[in-house]
Amino acid sequence: MAAQWGEPAPTRQEPIIKPDKSARVLVIPALVGCLVSLTLGIYGRLHSPTGVAVDVIGFSSPGTVKAWLATVAVLFAVVQVISSMIMYGKISWITAPPWIGTLHKWSGRIAFIVTVPVAVHCLYALGFETFNLRVIVHSICGCLFFGVFTVKMLALTKKGLPNWVLPVAGGLAFALLTVIWFTSAFWFFSIFGFRR
Amino acid sequence: MKIQTPIITLLVGVALAAALLVSSMSAVSEKKAALAAASSSAAANAAPGVTTSAAASSAAASGSQSASASASASATGSFVIPPHANYDGEVQGNKGAVALVVHDTFAVAYFCNGSTIEAWFSGTPDNGKLNLTGKGASAGSTLTANYALGHARGTVTVNGVSYVFSIIAVHKPSGLFESIANVRGATIKAGWIVLADGTEVGSLNPNENAANSVSQAAPTLDPSTLTATYDGTTITATPIDGETGSGF
Repeated sequence: MAAQWGEPAPTRQEPIIKPDKSARVLVIPALVGCLVSLTLGIYGRLHSPTGVAVDVIGFSSPGTVKAWLATVAVLFAVVQVISSMIMYGKISWITAPPWIGTLHKWSGRIAFIVTVPVAVHCLYALGFETFNLRVIVHSICGCLFFGVFTVKMLALTKKGLPNWVLPVAGGLAFALLTVIWFTSAFWFFSIFGFRR
Repeated sequence: MKIQTPIITLLVGVALAAALLVSSMSAVSEKKAALAAASSSAAANAAPGVTTSAAASSAAASGSQSASASASASATGSFVIPPHANYDGEVQGNKGAVALVVHDTFAVAYFCNGSTIEAWFSGTPDNGKLNLTGKGASAGSTLTANYALGHARGTVTVNGVSYVFSIIAVHKPSGLFESIANVRGATIKAGWIVLADGTEVGSLNPNENAANSVSQAAPTLDPSTLTATYDGTTITATPIDGETGSGF
């Protein structure tokens, strides 16, 4: 008798899983994300900026390196948005090709990795500054971006997420990155022109 | 248990950040050491009696304590030329103060006497030499200077009067501050030079666009909030800082 209860019938799983989809699993990722943002902001504010960090060969100054890396990150982030829209079936005239998941993961990884040197230079050489609106917005969004990104990465490892979590976290990360880009690289290029 | 790929992504990012942070720290200390060594050899090599030898030894003297060591500082002849630097100090004879700010290919300078005489300059640094011209209401004024690690010297000419200066590198919160604001329909432009000892010297042009507007003493700049009160209006100042790139 007891052996028959060992494996529930597949049809039973449907009502069991649904109530498990709770945003509660986001509590720890959200707390870690907050910690990341706060750590970056507090470090950037307390550490006295050196004005200097490592050089990257082939560019005239750290500013140009950062502007180009940030631009690369934004381009990959656009790939992120498009590929996720295809995955979620939001672009009706494209059926998701089998490699779309790989494209999404790798474009995201590249976008994230190229933002890291930019962020390190920002925090180490320049710090969290508030001397004008552009700089305030940039500093705050920069800290928030890495928090949101951490939340999204940690959320990916959780099972039973509500359906809205990944699109919202991803969209937020993209929106923040766009603001960061406009308040830094776009500003840089508009003043100094496209230069290496 | 298998580590999930998003965690790996995060860890790789953290590792890269840590590696860059550590290499930045060592790059900064190496460059400081290299710059200090280069400037002491500059002092050793400088021929006595040549006018520039004073500047070289001053640069060496302040080189060891200077934090303006920069990523791509170049040594020209026997001088170390920092690409990002702020200098300020009084001109000889206590007739006013001057501030020089160098950031890559841009240089900004300001001279004022805390009253009616002031001038803003901009131009392009050329291997440790500045040849700046007055901009806006200061057209016709000129500033020439040589700068190296820790020290700058030169001449500024405003309204036909020349002032000689020999000034030192300064860092936040000392330096040059600018405020442009619209107060009661007039565009005002104020400049403050905060000297290394915290003394403020500032002038304010009450109508930047009027040809014969006479400058006056600038209101006191609050260094913590970077605000000042002019004619009942709170105006905000922006640091012009070559080291952080603020104001450029």
